[in-house]
Amino acid sequence: MSDVANDLPQATGKRLEELEKGLFTSDLSVNEFLLIKEVGFHPVGFVMGSSIYHTGIQTRKWGQSLELTKLTEAMYNARELAMTRMEEEASELGADGVVGVRLDVNYYEWGKDAAEFIAVGTAVKAEDGVSRRNQLGKPFTSDLSGQDFWTLLQTGYFPQGLVMGTCVYHIAHRGLGQTLGTTGQNVELPNFTQALYEARELAMTRMQDEATQLGATGIVGVRLEEKSHQWGSHTIEFLSLGTAVLKTSNEVTLAKPTTIITLDN
Amino acid sequence: MTTHDGAKDTIDAKAQVRRAVASLAEKTSNAESTTSDLSIDEELNLHSIGWEPVELVSGVSLFSTPAGLWNWGEGEIASASEAHAQAFKFAIQRIHKEAADAGGHGVVGVHVERRVYSTHIEVTLLGTAVRPVGAGRVESSDVFVSDLSARDFTMLMVAGWEPLGLATGASFVYAPRRTMGAALQQQGQNVELKNYTEAMYSSRESAMERMQRVALDLKGTGVVGVKVVEGPMSFATHAVGFAAWGTVVRLVKDAHHFVRPTMVVSLNDLGVAFDAQSLH
Amino acid sequence: MSEGPHDLPEAAERRLTSGAFSSGLSVSDFSACLEMGLEPVGLVQGFCAMHQGAYAMGGALSRSLSPYGGSGGGYVQNYQCPHGMISTEHRAWGQNYEQTWVQDAWNQGFTSAYGRMLEEAATLGAHGVVGVIDSETPLGDVGVIEFHVRGTAVKVLDTPAPTSSPWSTYLAGQRLAKVFEAGYAPVSIVAAVSSVRVWAYCVTEYLMEGFSGSMWTNAINVSSSYEIEQIVTAQTWSRQRVRSSARAQLHGDALHGADLRLVEREFEKGDLEIEAVLRGNRIRRFKDFDPLPVPQPTVRLS
Repeated sequence: MSDVANDLPQATGKRLEELEKGLFTSDLSVNEFLLIKEVGFHPVGFVMGSSIYHTGIQTRKWGQSLELTKLTEAMYNARELAMTRMEEEASELGADGVVGVRLDVNYYEWGKDAAEFIAVGTAVKAEDGVSRRNQLGKPFTSDLSGQDFWTLLQTGYFPQGLVMGTCVYHIAHRGLGQTLGTTGQNVELPNFTQALYEARELAMTRMQDEATQLGATGIVGVRLEEKSHQWGSHTIEFLSLGTAVLKTSNEVTLAKPTTIITLDN
Repeated sequence: MTTHDGAKDTIDAKAQVRRAVASLAEKTSNAESTTSDLSIDEELNLHSIGWEPVELVSGVSLFSTPAGLWNWGEGEIASASEAHAQAFKFAIQRIHKEAADAGGHGVVGVHVERRVYSTHIEVTLLGTAVRPVGAGRVESSDVFVSDLSARDFTMLMVAGWEPLGLATGASFVYAPRRTMGAALQQQGQNVELKNYTEAMYSSRESAMERMQRVALDLKGTGVVGVKVVEGPMSFATHAVGFAAWGTVVRLVKDAHHFVRPTMVVSLNDLGVAFDAQSLH
Repeated sequence: MSEGPHDLPEAAERRLTSGAFSSGLSVSDFSACLEMGLEPVGLVQGFCAMHQGAYAMGGALSRSLSPYGGSGGGYVQNYQCPHGMISTEHRAWGQNYEQTWVQDAWNQGFTSAYGRMLEEAATLGAHGVVGVIDSETPLGDVGVIEFHVRGTAVKVLDTPAPTSSPWSTYLAGQRLAKVFEAGYAPVSIVAAVSSVRVWAYCVTEYLMEGFSGSMWTNAINVSSSYEIEQIVTAQTWSRQRVRSSARAQLHGDALHGADLRLVEREFEKGDLEIEAVLRGNRIRRFKDFDPLPVPQPTVRLS
């Protein structure tokens, strides 16, 4: 009998039960499926978590560049809720981790100032029965594709979790005097430069902090995304994502690659 | 991908072409015509495991939904979910029949097209029926349908898995209405909207669960390549639909057969090749 | 897409004898040709503008209210209203029928354009035509369609001059090379069309508007489910017909790399026209098949 975690809506129960009984579902391609099997893992089920969050308004001064901390918190919480629910589903299934995680945001016309944050992926389990959960005892998450997962394991490293850092920044509008002064010149815009620099640094630092919490020694596949959501062009969310990794094996099975030239385009 | 042995293969290629062209002068073949939409790569993949294409086949169904269905209501839009399931069921049955009639054992590379209109739901399936070379016919109910490409089909078969069919599940839901009081309360706060979350979540899970049900009915071990399509209806943005489909598979042999891939580094440059597009 | 006047035969001849060849091949396709021992000798094309009889009357026939009782010995299927009551607005009768005149016009137009392309190729002494592209463009709304078929004519090196009509294929480049390597010879391109007209009867009309539990639909004893059977039948027929038309052109050869396109035009609710076009390459086996070993899987490091 599936003991559905408190936070997951009722509907989840039945679906997870079927997966626990042995049926697996996965959104991995056939290539990824075969590569996961190669490194001793088996897909357990397609897992997902979502949250519809009211993103609210935060007053900001027109002429000031600063972080909008309330919005940062909201973006962070919303994604955390989605990720946590996805992790809970994976936990339910007795999985060791989730691969191919995708974070999406949906906007609906009827939900003004609200957005749906979704996290989906395929939960996997090691075939030898030895737990591969991370230091916090939770299933690892990663946005690595099946191919990247296979390649990473060849290097002796193992994913610990998808880490993210976010920062919602308001970029000051330039005063009229300033604009007229620089029209026609090639000049750096110190406002913008400073603001963007600051925002990105904050996002990446927070991401690194998460990795440290997991006891990881590095982060791979880092990417930085910038979104304006529904706030207009002077308010931007900087989202930094990556997979935290830890060296778990000294055995590096990375063979010398063969070089090829493909003859078809 | 082919690796060539330089001059020797080039000479062989030219000889092949000359021989091919010369053969056209001979009488036409008496063989049974086959039709297929597979590329030559896919066909060669099939042949490498002893399968061949037979016929291009399709299945289509249009299912009407009740008038006024999409006006705002509460909870799941049962008639739409039902129509979606029925449309798929009938389309699959039809493509099964065409494949069996042509002598195929399964259909691969199926292009799944589904459209939801305010008045009906339409499902169209198109793919190439295949069979082991020279095999006899099978019952329409034993035919498998899969949206896996011929190449993916080949890889799976080599690894010891076989496709059983296409599993789909869908669920449509009305967005819950916010009461005035609740709306005012949430203004300015950054909070989760619990009833919305619950509604979307439920619907998504239902769609996946229905897909799983089909997989279990087909006695499969798993579903691969699941595609999830979700979003509001273009004609009624307060109604949201979730649909998932994928290929049901089962392990045939005793154990999974490992593929043992080789790691390669390609020396191709990924630049764009110059293309004389004088015809376009 | 060509906008000028159609090529006059005289102009074509002048172009073809001018010397330097032109072709629509990309650089990689061109090098693949040389690898196969095929020498491109020129760009060849054919045009034909066809007038479709039924549309010529300003569309009156297609859009009139009273159905044309299908002729030409084609597929016809009648649908009778199951209800007892009749009113002027109630469609007591419906029909699916094959528009043989549309099919005939299309076939004639395509065959003419294709034939002219082959003539140009023969003038150049070519053995075959590769990389064929065909397009069918309606001109205005007067029921005229322009067919344009073009490709690159090639000579097979170290082979005697051709004695028969050139072979042709939609393929070019590496894909064509693999077809030869696999043991197939290209014979010709194949294109077939099917056209069916649907005049909805009452049941179809109601279902297309979204059935409602009125006393009309309650009287329906057609089926317990609400599948829109008339349209499904027409769509299914359309695809099956175009396939059998294509097969009739194969004479035992195989149709490879087929492409099926379906276009549905709705004039009024439930009054549709479905046109399907199937294109492909007719190929013939010239040597026994050597099964390939299973390809070696690789993981590419980017």
